[in-house]
Amino acid sequence: MSNNNGNNNGNKDSNNTGSNIGGKGKMVTITIDDKKYEVPEGTRLLWAALENGVYIPHLCGIEEEEKPSAGCRLCFVEIEGFLNPTTSCTQPVKEGMIVRTRSKRIDRMVKNAFELLLSNHRLNCGKCAANGSCELQKIAKERGLKLRVSRMRKLDIEAPVDDSPENFSYDPAKCVLCGRCVWVDHNVAKVGAIGLVRRGMGRKVAAFGETTLAESNCTQCGECVQACPVGALAMKK
Amino acid sequence: MTVMGTNYQEMKNRASEKAGMLQEKPYVMVGTATCGRAAGALKILDTFKEQVQKHQVETEVIEVGCLGHCYAEPMVIVYKPGFPALCYGNVDEGIASRLVSDFLVGDDPCFEFAMAALEPNDFFPTFADYPRGVYEQKIVLEACGLIDPEEIDHYIAREGYSALVKTLATEPGVVVDEIRNSKLRGRGGAGFPTGRKWGICHDAKADVKYVICNADEGDPGAFMDRALLESNPHQLIEGLIIAGYAVGASQGYIYVRAEYPLAIERLRTALQQARDNGLLGDDILGSGFSFDIRIFKGSGAFVCGEETALIASIEGKPGIPSHRPPFPAVSGLRGKPTLIDNVKTLSYVPHIMRNGADWFKGIGTPESPGTAVFALAGKVVGTGLVEVPMGTSLRTLIYDVGNGIKDDKGFKAVQIGGPSGGCLPESALDLTIDFDSLQHAGAMMGSGGLVVLDEDDCMVEIARFFLEFTQNESCGKCTFCRLGTKQMLEILTDITKGQGKPEDLDLLWELAEDIKAGSLCGLGKTAPNPVLSTLRFFRDEYEVHIHEGRCPARKCKDLITYRIVAQKCSKLCDACIASCPVEAVFTRPDMLKEIDLEKCVKCDNCLVTCLPLYDAVEKVSPPVTVAVEGGSASE
Amino acid sequence: MELMEGELEQIQSAVGEVLEKFDADREQLLPILQAVQGRLGYLPREAMKMVAAAVEIPEVDVYSVGTFYNQFRLSPPGKNQIKVCMGTACHMTGGNIIMDSFERRLEIEEGETTKDREFSLERVACVGCCALAPVVLVNEEVEAKVRPTRVDGILLGLGKELPKKEARPEDKAQDSAVPRDVSTQEAGDAR
Ligand SMILES: Cc1cc2nc3c(=O)[nH]c(=O)nc-3n(C[C@H](O)[C@H](O)[C@H](O)COP(=O)(O)O)c2cc1C
Ligand code: SF4
Ligand code: SF4
Ligand code: SF4
Ligand code: SF4
Ligand code: FES
Ligand code: FES
Ligand code: FES
Repeated sequence: MSNNNGNNNGNKDSNNTGSNIGGKGKMVTITIDDKKYEVPEGTRLLWAALENGVYIPHLCGIEEEEKPSAGCRLCFVEIEGFLNPTTSCTQPVKEGMIVRTRSKRIDRMVKNAFELLLSNHRLNCGKCAANGSCELQKIAKERGLKLRVSRMRKLDIEAPVDDSPENFSYDPAKCVLCGRCVWVDHNVAKVGAIGLVRRGMGRKVAAFGETTLAESNCTQCGECVQACPVGALAMKK
Repeated sequence: MTVMGTNYQEMKNRASEKAGMLQEKPYVMVGTATCGRAAGALKILDTFKEQVQKHQVETEVIEVGCLGHCYAEPMVIVYKPGFPALCYGNVDEGIASRLVSDFLVGDDPCFEFAMAALEPNDFFPTFADYPRGVYEQKIVLEACGLIDPEEIDHYIAREGYSALVKTLATEPGVVVDEIRNSKLRGRGGAGFPTGRKWGICHDAKADVKYVICNADEGDPGAFMDRALLESNPHQLIEGLIIAGYAVGASQGYIYVRAEYPLAIERLRTALQQARDNGLLGDDILGSGFSFDIRIFKGSGAFVCGEETALIASIEGKPGIPSHRPPFPAVSGLRGKPTLIDNVKTLSYVPHIMRNGADWFKGIGTPESPGTAVFALAGKVVGTGLVEVPMGTSLRTLIYDVGNGIKDDKGFKAVQIGGPSGGCLPESALDLTIDFDSLQHAGAMMGSGGLVVLDEDDCMVEIARFFLEFTQNESCGKCTFCRLGTKQMLEILTDITKGQGKPEDLDLLWELAEDIKAGSLCGLGKTAPNPVLSTLRFFRDEYEVHIHEGRCPARKCKDLITYRIVAQKCSKLCDACIASCPVEAVFTRPDMLKEIDLEKCVKCDNCLVTCLPLYDAVEKVSPPVTVAVEGGSASE
Repeated sequence: MELMEGELEQIQSAVGEVLEKFDADREQLLPILQAVQGRLGYLPREAMKMVAAAVEIPEVDVYSVGTFYNQFRLSPPGKNQIKVCMGTACHMTGGNIIMDSFERRLEIEEGETTKDREFSLERVACVGCCALAPVVLVNEEVEAKVRPTRVDGILLGLGKELPKKEARPEDKAQDSAVPRDVSTQEAGDAR
């Protein structure tokens, strides 16, 4: 069941996930959508593209993390010589790499992944604290997608909003499970108040025992709120 | 002779002597693997012990593993000098007592209960005289059910651990080459060339390396790994030590499903015996090679069969897969090169090392040499574990080895590979089985689960069942798998309820394709297979559900109603009434029985209860919605 | 869940004993939690906290593990554990109907425990006796080839009082228009 004919065309380089940190300073030339760019060798493609003003949809990517979670499945690109679309957040750049950020296949995958996320999202941009700064809105704008569930079934989410913290609130029904908040909570705030708990459709960001944040060991430092790409963790007005 | 050779020879002599002694007295072997136990084997074991005691016949009563004939459990083998060893199936306490009193005490082998003899003789046919025996060719299952899994000497007497001795006298690189030459492919699902994986791990430079045996067996309809662990644990242990030696690892793990307590117990015993005999631990057999094996108990998560998730789980984290590369063979457990192989894969290894790569390539097909082990289940007569050469046709497998379809029903489809596999229709029956042909046809070897479906099975419902399973087992990390399979499940559930929309089939197909291409790990990548294959081969069934609100197989609960056929009902018996848990069946003034559809919860009780003689309860689809005449309304 | 009197001490001593047997190492987390559940039947919050402190990781990380795997329970199991096999073979031979029957009789859903903590009902994937499908594990003993009609028998055997057919006043009162009297009497007689 392992995917051996998968996304990559060689296990030769497989010991190099391409960390961005500590790059040797060597530059390589890659082509994205017919334009050439000079980027530091080993950088992962997503960050190389964003750095150069090429937008690729993404929610879960964390530039500093060496082992990308690669969970949102929005950052797909086509790379010449690769059989299948590849997640750009996991792919280190290499000299001469030729990349397309758009293709029929990619566009369809992004459109469907996007609608899947929305089918499980409490959509009310008008009243949302993230309105205007939300990454979902940005993806919709960049890719010409509708912020609406049209073909898929709307999945009901009943989870109540946790507004126990003084300055911010957490709405699980808006969470896209990117995991960024958990990463900063563990690695930046170094508190360990929240985690990704349960499994499958039950997976969610929660504190120990799924209590409210005020009841947990959360220091309410607010780091996670900064990291949230959507309106799930948001400052109170 | 080398030190190793001498050390081993001593062991071998001891084992052979014991084996010889075994032939001098009567013995009884009772299959007490999990499936045997489920059928009451422990009671049979006790009966034999009691009866042997009572009759004062000097007989050894031995627990063994599984012979693979699940349909005939509990099974026993009885041997008495002067007779061929005979195998008996469906043994109950009465038969067990008779076997002691009539056969062991008297001289009547009770042929009326016997299934087959184990070796050719003048009295009774052997397994090889049946179609199943003709087509089966056993390598890894060979000793299963014939040796005591908790007695290392039984294994050694059958040349066990001689492959290890041979290996330890060979350069690791040469061992890798031998496996590469044999063209052995991984039996855990994808069929990746084992030698190539060993080579990558062998070449990886690191101070520490690990080998892991994947015994997570999460497919909800497969149990051959369990049977191997319970029946012949030493074969796997020998294979794992050889793998460790070949790639240069010093520590091995066996990752076993927590639901397999007996397998774990038998493995523990076996590991200890191997250690006691110097076959495991420091300086194995004086060769200078040190290697030990630890058991790691899984905690019940299908996704932990995926390599990176399995590693995360051993590291004490949730079993969430991560992106590959890096592949575990380069950077795995604790960041070290880690070889992960399935139970069956590793169980072939001692045989290949002993008999050579050419011998192995002589069996099966050129690209998929060796045998395939299947767990036959579903509507096939001969359920159980079978081992056939690759290249055997599905038809042979189902009709000759499996003895055909139960109750003379019509064949509809065969599901191969469990939740990652697909359903193949009748037109595929002549397909010869190997890794590539199955993949081509839209199924996959997967774990080796093979479920036969008949005319009473609904293909939409089967697809829904597998999808529900994978959806439940999705780790939830990636969008396509978590939400995509959920959407597909919602659509399929709607269809089975008669609420599907015509455009659903296109959406289902599109989602399936994207989930396959877009998911992070093998679970998501293969989850749509059952849906894709049923859509491809049984689209008409989907359409009938959607357009006519009818389930042709009368399986989907929301699309059927139960009815008592007036002409068939005996009127005089009340069996159905008593069986109904909600009092939906009642007697009409004219004594005919009838079902109150508003109350009926479709539990099937009345249908199974009504005597075959009358067979008066039936299911109809599309469902009847109004209460039929004479029902509650008219009273 | 509120702990009963004395339960906290019991948990603390059990977990303490388990922790003595293992290295305080993140890699031992699963074996530790398995051992704790082996002792207590489930993973009480207090136990997870103690384990987190011992292996020096955030409590929520233990919780993530405890909620990820099927095997771990966060609430005490019933005195009698009923596990219905929902593997492929059992499903095809009517495992779901068996599950429905248990749910109906115990008035709980799959994954739940009855209020009196007498029964808990779970689903398992293939227990490896497909040839004997459908299979139910009753306190780890295998019940083979279970027909829906066997469900009541299993529960009776475990001391569950089942509603007698005659003694269901609420039913009778509600739909007295139905010719129930005839059938119930006969059902009674037939026994
Ligand atoms: C979701 C999933 C479940 C798997 N389950 C198992 C399993 O139960 N047993 C197994 O041996 N391999 C399983 N595999 C395949 C393994 O990841 C891996 O490919 C295999 O153990 C490699 O061994 P092999 O080369 O001997 O086949 C699974 C893969 C996936 C994606
Ligand atoms: S998070 Fe973004 S998309 Fe979601 S409701 Fe708020 S603004 Fe809208
Ligand atoms: S606010 Fe709380 S949860 Fe968020 S990072 Fe800070 S401590 Fe962690
Ligand atoms: S709360 Fe925000 S940051 Fe955290 S996982 Fe959800 S969407 Fe991502
Ligand atoms: S495909 Fe499914 S199981 Fe695999 S990582 Fe994604 S969500 Fe998890
Ligand atoms: S950013 Fe690449 S998968 Fe989420
Ligand atoms: S005969 Fe042993 S698994 Fe069935
Ligand atoms: S499917 Fe139930 S025992 Fe295998």
